[in-house]
Amino acid sequence: MLVDLAGGWNPMLGRLAWSQIPYDNPILAPLFVAVVIGAILVLGLITYYGKWTYLWKEWLTTVDHKKLGVMYILIGLVMLFRGFIDGLMIRTQQAWAVGSHSSGVFGALHGYLTPFHFGQVYSAHGVIMILLAATPLLVGFMNIIVPIQIGARDMAYPYLNALGLWLTAAAGALIMISLFVGDFAHNGWFGYAPIFELQYSPGVGVDYWIWTMELVALGTTLGGINILATIIKMRAPGMTWGRLPIFVWATLSANVIALTSFPALQVALALVAADRYLGAHFFTAGLGGNLMLYTNLFWIWGHPEVYFVILPAFGMMSEIFPTFSEKPLFGYITMVLASMAIAGVSWLVWLHHFFTMGAGPYVNSAFSVATMLVGIPTGVKVFNWAFTMYRGRLTFNAAMLWAIGALFLLLIGGLTGMMLAVPAINYMVHNSVFVVAHFHSMLLVIVYAIFASVIYWFPKVFGFKVDEFWAKTMFWLFSAGTALVFVPMYMLGFMGMTRRLDYVFNTVWHPYLLVMEFGIAVYMLSVLAFFALLYVSIRDHAKNQVGADAWGTSRSLEWLTHSPVPFYNFAVLPHISARDEVAWRRDNGIDHVQPDHYEDIHMPNNTGVAIILGGLTFVLGFALVWRIWWLCAFSLLAIIALVIYRSFKGDPGYIITAAELEEMEKEAIRREAQVGKQRHQAGGGVLGEAIAYERSDLPPLASRPSSSVGLDHRS
Amino acid sequence: MQVKWRNNLKNGWRYAALAPILLLNGCAGNPYWIFDPKGLMADTNLFYLLVDVGVMGTIVGLTALLVVWFMWRYQKGKNRGKYDPAWSHSNTVEVVVWGIPIIAVGFLSYFAVTGTFEINPYNPTVITNHLKPASDPVEVDVIATDWQWLFVYPQYHIAVANELVLPAHTPVFFRLTSTAVTTTFFIPQLVGMIDVMPGMRTKNALESNNTGEYQGIASDYAGAGTSWMTFKTKMLSSSDFGQWVQKVQQSPTSMTYTSFNNYADPYINVHHKVAYFSSVQDGLFDHVIDEVMNGKTWRIPPMMTENMVAYMQKQNAEHRD
Amino acid sequence: MSSHASNVDPKTAELWDKSHYQHDVISTRTFGYFMYLLSDGMLFATLFAAYGVLSYQHSYFGGPTPADFVKPWYTFAQTMALFLSVLTYGLGMNALKHKNKSGVINGLLAAFVLGALFLALDIHDMTHLASLGITVATSGGMSAFIILTQVHATHIFFGLIWILVMMAQVLTKGFTTDVVGRLLTLRMFWHLQAIIWVFVYVFVYLWGYMS
Repeated sequence: MLVDLAGGWNPMLGRLAWSQIPYDNPILAPLFVAVVIGAILVLGLITYYGKWTYLWKEWLTTVDHKKLGVMYILIGLVMLFRGFIDGLMIRTQQAWAVGSHSSGVFGALHGYLTPFHFGQVYSAHGVIMILLAATPLLVGFMNIIVPIQIGARDMAYPYLNALGLWLTAAAGALIMISLFVGDFAHNGWFGYAPIFELQYSPGVGVDYWIWTMELVALGTTLGGINILATIIKMRAPGMTWGRLPIFVWATLSANVIALTSFPALQVALALVAADRYLGAHFFTAGLGGNLMLYTNLFWIWGHPEVYFVILPAFGMMSEIFPTFSEKPLFGYITMVLASMAIAGVSWLVWLHHFFTMGAGPYVNSAFSVATMLVGIPTGVKVFNWAFTMYRGRLTFNAAMLWAIGALFLLLIGGLTGMMLAVPAINYMVHNSVFVVAHFHSMLLVIVYAIFASVIYWFPKVFGFKVDEFWAKTMFWLFSAGTALVFVPMYMLGFMGMTRRLDYVFNTVWHPYLLVMEFGIAVYMLSVLAFFALLYVSIRDHAKNQVGADAWGTSRSLEWLTHSPVPFYNFAVLPHISARDEVAWRRDNGIDHVQPDHYEDIHMPNNTGVAIILGGLTFVLGFALVWRIWWLCAFSLLAIIALVIYRSFKGDPGYIITAAELEEMEKEAIRREAQVGKQRHQAGGGVLGEAIAYERSDLPPLASRPSSSVGLDHRS
Repeated sequence: MQVKWRNNLKNGWRYAALAPILLLNGCAGNPYWIFDPKGLMADTNLFYLLVDVGVMGTIVGLTALLVVWFMWRYQKGKNRGKYDPAWSHSNTVEVVVWGIPIIAVGFLSYFAVTGTFEINPYNPTVITNHLKPASDPVEVDVIATDWQWLFVYPQYHIAVANELVLPAHTPVFFRLTSTAVTTTFFIPQLVGMIDVMPGMRTKNALESNNTGEYQGIASDYAGAGTSWMTFKTKMLSSSDFGQWVQKVQQSPTSMTYTSFNNYADPYINVHHKVAYFSSVQDGLFDHVIDEVMNGKTWRIPPMMTENMVAYMQKQNAEHRD
Repeated sequence: MSSHASNVDPKTAELWDKSHYQHDVISTRTFGYFMYLLSDGMLFATLFAAYGVLSYQHSYFGGPTPADFVKPWYTFAQTMALFLSVLTYGLGMNALKHKNKSGVINGLLAAFVLGALFLALDIHDMTHLASLGITVATSGGMSAFIILTQVHATHIFFGLIWILVMMAQVLTKGFTTDVVGRLLTLRMFWHLQAIIWVFVYVFVYLWGYMS
């Protein structure tokens, strides 16, 4: 039943052998040593400060959606860095290996990476950036923000939420370990049939690729179900569909896509696995297989996935523009309709990823027009953001700068996207670096929106703002890097340079490649600026503490509760009366009204089951990659047993009593009042500028409709 | 004629739009292959590119200006524009923001569809509608191996590896297949991309009135040798082409089903070696498709993926260079 | 047009929930599970699409086609076993309405036995195919046929484990919120597998038999 393998196999270790460890690789071996030293250092520090219990109790076993979200974002940032290093390696190889006279080292004919290694680097770059950087970062923000924005205490299924995180972490671990044990796929992040078949890729690389993606797909599907159920079932009283914050709508539309499209990826990859493990003929060229089937199945998921990552980014921008324009989002209803339209059309466009495959002109035309249709709702969104700024009062702080950067990148990506949607143009630039530049423009929209959101929601999660100077420095460096890398890339696309070249045959392209290499160096500076940003922000955190409404002009519900958000989110669930609830309360002078009495809250317990399941899934993935069958069976049985155990054990949860709650709330309110006083003393300066509390256009406080602020308002 | 007005229009646009680029690269020849088409297919592609960029560029450019203007006018503390904290809806604006993209997409859709038919690789109407009865089309069977190109001319019973030679002023029709994995056939200045897949047949076509030498590329990742899987395309006048065919017909080597089997073994064409075959066994193209469909594969030596220097030494030692 | 889309008077507005707003646990869970089943349906839809593409004559590559080995009455027996299993599960759920513990256990037990019969018939069928030399490696068409039917069988296998777990939970825990919620989600799961089997039986077995 199982296929014969080219290399060795033994029952104990499967395909694993010493020769699979690249200890002689001049790049990987030092990196491995560095990683080991770093890991020992981190573990040692944790032990030294005695933080293991804290780590286990507060983070690793948590089911708190905010902490899970923070961990999602941490995974995303780490993987973003790894993906960036891959990008750096790609650019360096292409800047070096130009022309037949270029030198070669480390066994490569030109440059420093052999074609096989170069293939692994860009495949890992793609998989990591899309599935392990963008996706976890966005899922992290959805996790943190959505429950607070709809006035819920947690997600619908807190335990499932933790499971989703640890499955994603397992996938990240699997792709990281492929660096040091065996190798990774060289067939690009989306894979080509039949190059990923066993006879063309005899190593374990493709298997790493399959199981990494399967784990992410599983985690994201579970996460999608959770977020959908949360939005539909867990809204606070009064939170009608028409009052839902726009980011929640964006999340809803994105997760409808995730729920329905990820199974297609799971099947496509499972069938590749059937080919490689069982000798099936789904995607082989011979014996009745159909290699075009793979490309279709993959992109039936792949294109909706693109919108799965871009829609939440649009949602983030739709939250940030109104806050810093000090007026409501223009065209809320059309914005919602546009999101839903994008989600719907996302299912009808997958074929535009392979217009060149030779489908007839009728098919290509249909998909071309369908693809252009996406431009309509996207265009509407851009106009709506512009008209949100119209007649506003714009503050250009770091978050707003990142959001505006995203808007301009979207314009460029939209222009080039409309070009690629036309088959007559697509034939010339498909598989060229023009396409690469296009989708990087679009994915950078997401990255810009994410950094905007990090700055925007950071005070909500941690209780203090990030440093404005370093955030802006990072923005300008990052934008300079973007321009230096992607403008030459668009130009090279028009010169006919195709993608994935590990050796560049045309020396005319060399200057442009060198400019791109310089751009990558500038990107590196922006990464350093990000580290400086984190360091300075944490150092000065006492100075930058904020109250509930961190920006003073915020609009949606998450700004009603304290910063940092208490683990129960809201002591008493708010009753929603308006679309922009916080803005409505502020404008009516009732934003400081606190609940007058508290009741017991029921909260879910922490659980170690999720992280153990994640660990076991990682073992299962590793065993499948190396075909260690006994370990597969063991980990699979352990997973089933653990799931059954958890189902018997259940979780009764625990109660926070009203008295405890009142105590914690008093403390939070006291802290908030102190922050307010500090702010008053600080007056102008960086802090005063960022806070737009004082609104000259509104009547003085005394004459506002309801000026009786305080606990006794309701009595 | 349709093509003619299009050419006039296109030249006008082209020199207006690309003036900065042309100034930069005026002496060294135009490195922008996509903007410097030398065949009917690539010409047509450029026309649609310019229409699309013209329409979308106008909208996107104006939108960008609008955003910048809003950013300038409504900056806080400058009091340049009126602040209206409640303004968030306007039916007029809604009609405009939905109307502009709908009209633009409708307009471009028309061009997208006509363009798709004009350059449909299986039956490009830019070529087939203007077929002159005098000029017989040239047929070329393209077989991609790991990692070389074999161009078979069934009308002349000859074949060339890694070099494509074609007559100008003559329609050329390609049939394409691959022995191993999927790749893509692409000559930027002459014709757009078409996938080349094992066990399957795709088609493409081109026609050019410009003699000269143009770069051909394997534009889809096919494994270790992809980057060296390039070929020169020579456009000759019809008399030169006739002489060239005669020259090839006198070369010593020939291509049979058996010798193809050796030829198709994985080979990285680092030195851009070109080979001529004076005769080709009939039906080689269909034979290759049949073989692949029957499950034949040409395995890749594991060494080729791991250590290219050692592999190149081995390749040289076997005198396959 | 109000900037907040709110007609609520801020002076009298209720700002904090006083209605002891509670989320219905069972409704939330069954809804989430329903969405999981949607994704499961997508999974099968994708497999059916793959089967559709790989069930042309050339996909079998001159080798055996389902017409050569499918026995419609044998598969009909499987169909009956699965349908009766769903029926008995439904009877068990009827007993749940009356809080009748033994009724639920009997229903689940019968559902388990009939489901196990279905699975045994399927395994017998597959070993028979293997004895004829027909495996996933035979041709693209056979790969699609076997993987599609066996993915369904795998669902049945995990459903059977789940039925056993639920019997144990009903016996040890009684009808708690958790247990009732799980019985309801398991019912949805079991029904969906039967519905998918209708498609498998019609489009894979019968259609394959006739073409």
